[in-house]
Amino acid sequence: MKLAERLAQALAAGIRHIGQVAISPRAGAKGYELRHIDDEGQPESALQRHEGIAAARSISTWAADGHYRFTKGELSLVRGWRLLLDSPEELRQALDLFYPAAAGLWFAQADGRIEIEHLRAKLNRQTGMYRFARNINDETAQRLVREVCGPGNCCVKKILWQIDADTPLEDSEASRFDGVVGEIARAEAIPLLCREACNHFVAEARKAAKAK
Amino acid sequence: MSFTPKPGTALLIVGHGSTENPDSSTPYFEHADEIRQRGLFGEVHCCFWKEEPSMRESAYMIDADEVYVVPDFISEGYFTQEVIPRELQLEGPTTRRGGKTWHYTLPVGVHRSMTGLLLQRAKEVAPDASPAETTLFIVGHGTGLNQNSTKAIRDQVDLIKASGAGYAEVHDAFMEEQPFIAEWDKIAATPNVVVVPFFIADGLHSYQDIPVLLGIEAEPGEAASQREVFRHNPHHLRGKTLYYSSSIGTERNMADVILDQVADFDATHLS
Repeated sequence: MKLAERLAQALAAGIRHIGQVAISPRAGAKGYELRHIDDEGQPESALQRHEGIAAARSISTWAADGHYRFTKGELSLVRGWRLLLDSPEELRQALDLFYPAAAGLWFAQADGRIEIEHLRAKLNRQTGMYRFARNINDETAQRLVREVCGPGNCCVKKILWQIDADTPLEDSEASRFDGVVGEIARAEAIPLLCREACNHFVAEARKAAKAK
Repeated sequence: MSFTPKPGTALLIVGHGSTENPDSSTPYFEHADEIRQRGLFGEVHCCFWKEEPSMRESAYMIDADEVYVVPDFISEGYFTQEVIPRELQLEGPTTRRGGKTWHYTLPVGVHRSMTGLLLQRAKEVAPDASPAETTLFIVGHGTGLNQNSTKAIRDQVDLIKASGAGYAEVHDAFMEEQPFIAEWDKIAATPNVVVVPFFIADGLHSYQDIPVLLGIEAEPGEAASQREVFRHNPHHLRGKTLYYSSSIGTERNMADVILDQVADFDATHLS
């Protein structure tokens, strides 16, 4: 089944949230409406209306304080908008702009075909200027997870990887986070999944290795 | 070139991206949008080195069993020959992996149709400048690290010279190696000069660094999308009339070059 159809089924079955985005079927019309989760109770007149997929990129590019959201799992999505989409295919494309590949990763996890890459494998495959990143020890790696990942550091993805197959992440807010933002029903949310450390983490690992 | 639609296949455009400046990935999304609107592929996606989705994540967005991977890069080199194949786990022109068939094309910048795009951009930026009285510069970064990027530019210069476009002079020039773009007025003998940056995006180099080297600005400005006023051509500088273009990759017709690379791939590997 295509991702868009599967997404439509998930919505029909009650899925309403992904990251900081709330999704609802449009009353009396086909398609969907997206909002910031903190704007769910706002009257339509209080929100700026957008239509079409492209608005998803402009809405999700800058944080309220003006910084560039280059990691989309950041807990910094702006409020004050609603985005109208006409079809499951438009919904799929818009969600891939708000949270790239997140829906597909969730489906892959449900199917048991998500490929998880532990940190050592990720660092060891780096070349060029990032090859130094592999020189961090486990203690530094565990520290970086606490200092780079998790909602305390603005990333709201659920970490699926370990340091290596035998070394789990130490318990922390970052390692415990379940990928769902806010006090909302877990069964109604698509969790944001982190199947391998991002390149921002690799860059931080390189900095830490260089500092030593 | 007419393009035979591929409704059962996906197009995956690979870009560099940036953690500093969102303008860096704007052209890739625009190229994807242009091709999506033409309805030539079942799906069109982007993925990045420095942004999300990463190359490894991109497979999770794709429904189709057959995927064309097009590097939206200006030259062959470290990224197209090492990073992208590694990250997408490609083993040659065609790779079968994870239930999908992946076709890996050459980067857009080395395609011969880039020549027409460069000439079109040069004409657009300086519509009143007679080519016979104009020097055209194609500008790249230039470092000792990647000779391929300088080669791609020199190849384009040769193709433009041979095209009969009529420019008095056509030169390659670079930010960090000879011939230096900072010396544009000494290199060019003509009263008019047109400068086209051979980059995909308007990022630090084309909108901040090169304007300083040209003398248009005293110090690097803000990122392109944050500017209130875009530069106005022409600039009367150093006794000449200078026309400065945005990066060639911001041209929406770059979508045609992506399609050309897919068509060339088919002709070379699948026919």
